[in-house]
Amino acid sequence: MSASSPAFQMPKVSAGRKRKDTIMRGCLLVGTGIALVPLILIIYYLIYKGVSSWTSSGFFTTDPTGNFFGNPGGIRSAIVGTLEIVALASLIAIPVGIAVALYLTEYGKDHWFANTVRYFVDVMTGVPSVVFGLFIYIVLVISHAGGSGFAGWKGALALALLMLPIVIRSSEVVLLLVPTSLREAALALGAPRWRIIWRVVLPTARSGLVTGSLLAVARGMGETAPLLFTVSLATALTGNLNGLMNSLPLQIYTDITNPRDVIVARAWGAALTLVALVLILNVFARLISRRSRMT
Amino acid sequence: MTKETKVRTHRLGAAALSLAAALAIAACGSSNKTTTTGAAGGGSTGTGTSASGGSGGGSISPGTLNGAGSTLAQPIYQQWGSNLKGKGLTVNYNGVGSGAGIADLQTATVDFAGSDPALKPEDQKGMKGPALQYPVAFGAITVSYNLSGVKSGLKLDGPTLADIFSGKIKAWNDPAIKNLNPGISLPSTAITVVHRSDSSGTTNGFTTYLSDVSPSWKSSIGAGKDVKWPTGTGAAKNSGVAAAVKQTQGAVGYVEQAYALLNGFTYAAVKNSAGKYILPTLANTSAAANGVKVPADLGISTINSPDPAAYPIVSQTFLVAYKDPCKDGKESASTAKALKSFLGYAFGAGQQTLGEGGNKLPYAPLPASLAAKDNAQLQTMTCNGSAIS
Amino acid sequence: MEAGATTATGVRAKFARSPGARLPDQVLQVGLTTLAVLILGLLAYFFVRLIGESTDALNKFGASFIFGNDWDISRNIYHGAPLVIGTLITSAIALIIGVPVAVATALYLTELCPRRVRGPLAMLVDLLAAVPSVVYGLWGVFVLGPKLIPVERWFANTFSFIPFVGGGSSSITAPNYFVAGLILAIMILPIVSAIAREVLATVPAENKEAALALGATRWEMIRMTVLPYARPGITGGAMLGLGRAIGETIAVVLVIGNAATIGHHLFDQGYSLAAVIANEFGEAANQPLHSSALFAAGLVLFVLTLLINIVARWFVRRGTRGMRAPNVDAADAVSGSVATAGRA
Repeated sequence: MSASSPAFQMPKVSAGRKRKDTIMRGCLLVGTGIALVPLILIIYYLIYKGVSSWTSSGFFTTDPTGNFFGNPGGIRSAIVGTLEIVALASLIAIPVGIAVALYLTEYGKDHWFANTVRYFVDVMTGVPSVVFGLFIYIVLVISHAGGSGFAGWKGALALALLMLPIVIRSSEVVLLLVPTSLREAALALGAPRWRIIWRVVLPTARSGLVTGSLLAVARGMGETAPLLFTVSLATALTGNLNGLMNSLPLQIYTDITNPRDVIVARAWGAALTLVALVLILNVFARLISRRSRMT
Repeated sequence: MTKETKVRTHRLGAAALSLAAALAIAACGSSNKTTTTGAAGGGSTGTGTSASGGSGGGSISPGTLNGAGSTLAQPIYQQWGSNLKGKGLTVNYNGVGSGAGIADLQTATVDFAGSDPALKPEDQKGMKGPALQYPVAFGAITVSYNLSGVKSGLKLDGPTLADIFSGKIKAWNDPAIKNLNPGISLPSTAITVVHRSDSSGTTNGFTTYLSDVSPSWKSSIGAGKDVKWPTGTGAAKNSGVAAAVKQTQGAVGYVEQAYALLNGFTYAAVKNSAGKYILPTLANTSAAANGVKVPADLGISTINSPDPAAYPIVSQTFLVAYKDPCKDGKESASTAKALKSFLGYAFGAGQQTLGEGGNKLPYAPLPASLAAKDNAQLQTMTCNGSAIS
Repeated sequence: MEAGATTATGVRAKFARSPGARLPDQVLQVGLTTLAVLILGLLAYFFVRLIGESTDALNKFGASFIFGNDWDISRNIYHGAPLVIGTLITSAIALIIGVPVAVATALYLTELCPRRVRGPLAMLVDLLAAVPSVVYGLWGVFVLGPKLIPVERWFANTFSFIPFVGGGSSSITAPNYFVAGLILAIMILPIVSAIAREVLATVPAENKEAALALGATRWEMIRMTVLPYARPGITGGAMLGLGRAIGETIAVVLVIGNAATIGHHLFDQGYSLAAVIANEFGEAANQPLHSSALFAAGLVLFVLTLLINIVARWFVRRGTRGMRAPNVDAADAVSGSVATAGRA
């Protein structure tokens, strides 16, 4: 304001400080680069080693032959088995998970019981899947529940147990974001509780619920340990969920420790398939959530 | 329609479509159902059981059998499964190691187990009923190594092997190895021992041999399906050990011959009880079965065979199944029938797939007398007390 | 006028509900509550069963189950020090390598990254969490393991004077503690980074602007205002990463070497609690003591992860101080919660 006082000058940054700043910025950039290197390398090797399997004849249309010598076959039964088991697991985990999340947000709220449920669910997300697998092995497989030892539906159940906490947590987060004003408006118009849930809450939260469910499904698809304990491995194509089935993660796991190069190549191809499926689900989930953000 | 409902409809449609497609593929492709129709169970008129059993491969009852166990015998069961698929019998065999195979049979999660060592009394105790063991074939356990420049046939004797696998000998150019192989130049590469991480009949055979020939091994580590290895990397199954040996320079491991041949391994000539250095050829493997004592329960052992031409580390492998598979609801009558016909095939036409020759599996087949004993024991298999036709 | 009340003329009020209208609501409430009770019951049964199956082994071996060095199946002795130590070593390596990289990534993405690139880069880092562990194992066995051997040899030779870290270079082979730890580091990177980003986003802009206004360089601003504020939250994130590293099974089984001994060097073969369960469950099925020992290993694993998770969440809550950054929305909330969900 006063014309006579000199304008304020920022003190010059010393060369040392500037250098340190540049170096540390560089470190952070390099750190980020280091973080991305494994992803790039994994995808590179998956494609580099897996594409030759993809283009080999019969990779997607034949089952693993299980032959010791000769043609090892493709991975058809593994893909179908994974789809079947994960579909059943999702059928169980997603409705149950959303229902429990609804209970927590609509009825339970801050009640001590709801908090107990939340706490246990949180704890369950930290349980390693081996421990789950061992539990189901003893409870369902050895006891021959349902008239069979290893069975596809038991694997689906184990996966559902794994997916459930994820669905519950992500759904609860999304349901909490539904503005209370919407609920109150519906209540003021005389709507019963169930109609509010069905017509107001769920549709508003729909894209978030879908995103969370798809991400849980993507997780379930990639899990190996639960299937190891409950489904074991069978190479034939089968729709019978009450018996042994094949699955992509188990097929890969078994093929990794095989000395034959063709079988290792098949493992790479199967891994590329699995990662492609999982990535598609992930990208799909994010696209849905992004689209909902725009509307 | 709003944009959101459009997305939802599309997503639901896509999901439903893919689910339907998957189920359709499954329905079309699953001609092998676990519930048997039993219609084509040839020869179900139940007379001359010895006829269908003895001729071997006469009539195969359709069905699905689940087996698990020995990876030493895994190539055999998988090949037989492949051969029998066209006849309506599906055999799923999961190589999980002899120990886990016996455990699976004890919990009746499988119809038969592959096990290399003979049944012990404590194994029988855990079973859901008396279990019978049937010798099926003999396989040589090779000492395979990955050492560039050193050809097959490195001579090794019992005490040296014991020292290698217990970690006392650490490098390939150790004087102990050099003394046995004066003409070969050995590199100074470190020895990496590869052993089994799972409960294994192959381990049992190999450690039984080592215990026989090395008193220090016997007292410190001993023999068994699981032993406490003082050194080395653990890999699961024969295939895992083979893979580890293949990937590591200087590695040595014990794998069944089929795996060694498949991967082009070089393997050692081992000193046998007669003092000769023997390579694991098929003839030397069969020689180990000569003169082996056969107890009443058929629990033979061919390790360290006294025959002078025999390769010293030959393992027998058993197929173990319940004497009465139907009792207590373990299996259905049709599955028991399928099991019996599979066993009949194993001692009959299946034996033709083993032996020397291009498309045969590198195992020594059963001598005729042993196959006959197997068949005789097979006739004692019953279903809920009554004979199976 | 209250709903349901009748006016003097006996006509029901406009907004009155028929008596049966409450039924669907009650059914829904009872149904959902029952479901929650069932789920809670299932989880409780799981804990009880887990503890019940472990008591045999824990009673028999007591403290030596964790501290004794003798995992010997043939003699039915299960002292699991090699397992516990292997788990700790690989997790420590994962933390030492993974956390600094994850924090650096988070710092770069929140503070220095050009706005347009931020979203795609963050998505790329998060994609690491989507790769299944069996694929990590496959890559570790055939790519990382073999390629690292020369580096490991050089490292062991150069630093041979440091105990444990150096030495033993003559017998280095691919599956070993270090490769397992490195793979675990890559696997925990996305979680730690996601949580760190959440925490860094809650740092009040005024603090940062104040530092900049006083003439601090970018790095000095980060060091003075962002890091101290975010430290508890980042510690919590690191612990959540640790919890995951401890429980990882399939990738570890393939690259740790499955040797039930305590390794002497960083590049020795070892074992871990999770790996032993996956390897031995088949043969232990009908052996009561062995099976109980595996359950006990699972219980140790579970208690460890439980404790770590509890402490970690406390740290994270302190770190975010309950405040969310203003622009959070459903997508980020969901991905965030899924990313922090446990995995093995």
